[in-house]
Amino acid sequence: MVKVAAFVCGVASSGKSTFCGALMSYMKSVGRSCHLVNLDPAAENFEWEPTVDIRDLISIDDVMEELDYGPNGGLIYCFEFLMENLDWLNEEIGDYDEDYLIFDMPGQIELYTHVPILPALIRHLQVTLNFRPCAVYLLESQFLVDRTKFFAGVLSAMSAMVMMEVPHINLLSKMDLLKDNNNITKAELKRFLNTDPLLLTGEINETTNPKFHELNRCIVQLIDDFNMVNFLPLESGNEESVSRVLSYIDDATQWYEDQEPKDPDRFEADDLEDDE
Amino acid sequence: MTDKEKKPCAIIVVGMAGSGKTTFMQQLNAHLHSKNKPPYILNLDPAVRNLPYEANIDIRDTINYKEVMKQYNLGPNGGIMTSLNLFVTKFDQVLKILEKRAPTVDHILIDTPGQIEIFQWSASGSIICDTLASSWPTCIAYVVDTPRATSTSTWMSSMLYACSMLYKAKLPLIIVYNKCDVQDSEFAKKWMTDFEEFQQAVTKDEGMSSEGATSGYMGSLVNSMSLMLEEFYRHLDFVSCSSVTGEGMDDFLEAVKAKVKEYEEEYVPEMERMKEIQRQTKERQKEAQLSKLMKDMHVSKDKEDVGLTVSDAEDEYNGELVDPDEDDGLTAEDREDMIKQYRVALGISDDISDEKLLEMLTERMKQ
Repeated sequence: MVKVAAFVCGVASSGKSTFCGALMSYMKSVGRSCHLVNLDPAAENFEWEPTVDIRDLISIDDVMEELDYGPNGGLIYCFEFLMENLDWLNEEIGDYDEDYLIFDMPGQIELYTHVPILPALIRHLQVTLNFRPCAVYLLESQFLVDRTKFFAGVLSAMSAMVMMEVPHINLLSKMDLLKDNNNITKAELKRFLNTDPLLLTGEINETTNPKFHELNRCIVQLIDDFNMVNFLPLESGNEESVSRVLSYIDDATQWYEDQEPKDPDRFEADDLEDDE
Repeated sequence: MTDKEKKPCAIIVVGMAGSGKTTFMQQLNAHLHSKNKPPYILNLDPAVRNLPYEANIDIRDTINYKEVMKQYNLGPNGGIMTSLNLFVTKFDQVLKILEKRAPTVDHILIDTPGQIEIFQWSASGSIICDTLASSWPTCIAYVVDTPRATSTSTWMSSMLYACSMLYKAKLPLIIVYNKCDVQDSEFAKKWMTDFEEFQQAVTKDEGMSSEGATSGYMGSLVNSMSLMLEEFYRHLDFVSCSSVTGEGMDDFLEAVKAKVKEYEEEYVPEMERMKEIQRQTKERQKEAQLSKLMKDMHVSKDKEDVGLTVSDAEDEYNGELVDPDEDDGLTAEDREDMIKQYRVALGISDDISDEKLLEMLTERMKQ
């Protein structure tokens, strides 16, 4: 049996929970088996009730009140507590065969890059429970409007990727908002989705201090080496957009096993063209 | 230099959870007091329970974090984000207070929320950085937890994130290796300057890990990473500090001085250049709109000619009354409204008569 774990990551307000809900809705509508796992103790509300919820194990409100922690300390404590009680997670997750789990992850970057908790959790799922992992990193599409913001976002995504060391998909979320933005044309949008690093260098040099041009070149080289420049567009409210993203996750995790990969559906004529 | 008005340096202290950011602030504050140079302190973390130092301006004085969560039905993260957004709506008042205090202090210290991404990625974080930078020399102190950074992958992530901060804020950056009483930060300097040293450390870490499959991947990253870091290192200063023992505070203040100089020599001209570009862009947009306006006025002027013709026709039918306004297709009221809009758009006062207005517009069209 193939067991897939998709970890939906991203900074606060990047649209993770909305995307998780949209993915659940789509998979249910096409008859696929899937479950939502909430690993954010500070999560606020859900469109879909999670099948597994860390708040059943421990709640950040309890931690903050009883131990007098702030939001950050409380969150890290919750995860350390989870790592000490992985039997609970095994029991919660282990009952589902042929499983497709969507993990809604917290937004704190520390958990990915500075505290060795989530990487250990992912390895636990890989080794002990035989899941095939895939990281789905959401970056808000408004960052395209500013070139240097885009660089910062890419570096942030790469920072998380380095620690997690699993197949990695980058999404530009909230693309429906960007389509209404007159400051960026569809041609420019395509260039960001399939970026030529040299073009990036030229464009970012226009808006940065000349003394940073060499650093710009080095970063573009770094980005290019790790194929971090490719992003997928995402509109959580658009069913075709969600289905396309899902097909990429299936490819990354080899959900089809020996089957040929499913061809992604083409967007409507007025949507973004697929240049790949 | 003595004639020039003294400007304090604004230091925005950011860092990951557990890196000792607030403790660093406390130690820096105590150090400056011991030198008889008390700083002006802003606290922007609405969720902090106990501040070990006294803030001159505290976000918690005006915004109740728990009340915000309750009112807007938010969790801890949303509560911090919203609190910061609410505070920024009043940031002009904060700036006025700072302007009054600026001549009396050498440093303005800003403590940021523990969730670094809330400050870095939100609009309010950008507004705070930009408004401070436009008034005073501003730099960012990025606090790193040195003991954690002994892991090569954790350290790489820290450096990548610091570089991300550099690009987002576009301000001079100082990396503060905190807790150096626990772990000397010499290893980090070696890794940043010596590619082979770093590669050996990565190989060593790989050997300790049971994940042999990551070898090729990590090695490939190391090659690109070293090239970037050598370049990145040239653009920043780093200091070793201990918030517990107070070691390294003088080094930090020296680094701040260097960043103030860098700010004035490089960032100010760059900001001026960007402002000029923005001004030119606005000018072009203004001209485009004016051109469109002239086109509309030209159509109206043609209709005036038609009116004159009708007026001539009236003379031929001597004694028979014809109302020329009806033939224009516009009522007198509509015409008046249109002219009024043009006046507003061009900023022409009502004192000028219609006749004079047409004359001015005609001249503009000729230009």
